[in-house]
Amino acid sequence: MTTQPPASDGENALDPAQMLALVEDQKRSVEGQLASFVPVIVTAWGIAWLVGFGCLWLIDGLAPAFALPLPLAVAIFVLLLMGAIAVSAVLGIRSGRGMRGSSAEAFAGIVYGCTWTIGSLAIVGFGAGLSFNGMSAELANIFYPIAFVLFAGIMYILSAALWRAVPMLILGVWTLIVAVAAPFFGMPTHYLVLALGGGLGFLALGVASFVYLRRLRARVTRRAAGHG
Amino acid sequence: MDDLDPVIHAQGRLRIMATLSTLGDADQVTFPRLQELLDMTAGNLSTHLRKLEDAGYVSVDKTHRGRTPVTYLELTKQGRRAFEDYVETLRSVLGQQP
Repeated sequence: MTTQPPASDGENALDPAQMLALVEDQKRSVEGQLASFVPVIVTAWGIAWLVGFGCLWLIDGLAPAFALPLPLAVAIFVLLLMGAIAVSAVLGIRSGRGMRGSSAEAFAGIVYGCTWTIGSLAIVGFGAGLSFNGMSAELANIFYPIAFVLFAGIMYILSAALWRAVPMLILGVWTLIVAVAAPFFGMPTHYLVLALGGGLGFLALGVASFVYLRRLRARVTRRAAGHG
Repeated sequence: MDDLDPVIHAQGRLRIMATLSTLGDADQVTFPRLQELLDMTAGNLSTHLRKLEDAGYVSVDKTHRGRTPVTYLELTKQGRRAFEDYVETLRSVLGQQP
């Protein structure tokens, strides 16, 4: 098979069908390169949810056969969360290297980013307010994780709206369903529901995005080879 | 075929136009990142870019980040329209619905 790169200086033209194919391939190639980090981020979050909430569940989910010490479970949960945030931030920034968007888009991105912090603090404040009004520690164990997961689901939907990302819309709606369903399983099974529901949701999206990107790449290289 | 814009109707420049049009409406990209997205040599890329700039299809913004000079490139409105027209012409030549 003779694969020939497009003429070295790119000055010549091909026939119309091949030129149109070139446009489509190049667009796909760029899309693929710009999104190459997505499967990694999504998988990192999948692991954080699955293992993180799984650890919280193991505090007394399998008692008396097995019990993960509470401080250890919380430490793992927090570490995984921080790790996923770090992976998202680093890869997100890396993917945007050498690019500058319109100020309107930059504003949307900054507001979106800050909303994660503001919203999380608001949930903590709301929880404190509920405790002040007599929410028990048992109920707080339900309230906090569910409130954060609900909030995350809404934020995913918001990101879908801002950046026209349909998979994020699906993930967001799925996250809301998981959040609303989890409390009905009672404490501590709700942690298991969050671990499996959220974690598997993310991992499924990770696999889907990986497969999508690989197909995209395969199509581009196949075409490049065919049109040598 | 005569209707095809000669500025765009070359593999190298068509790929550049396709790449820039994939980015958002007012998105700008640096020269090295564009080179990476295209997998093109710097010499080739700058030759093609000069032609696109001369045609008014690409605007070049030379600025500084700290002390290092940075060149940002972006499709002009005219360039975006020319690219859309070019693709539409291709499709009609091929008998496709736009």
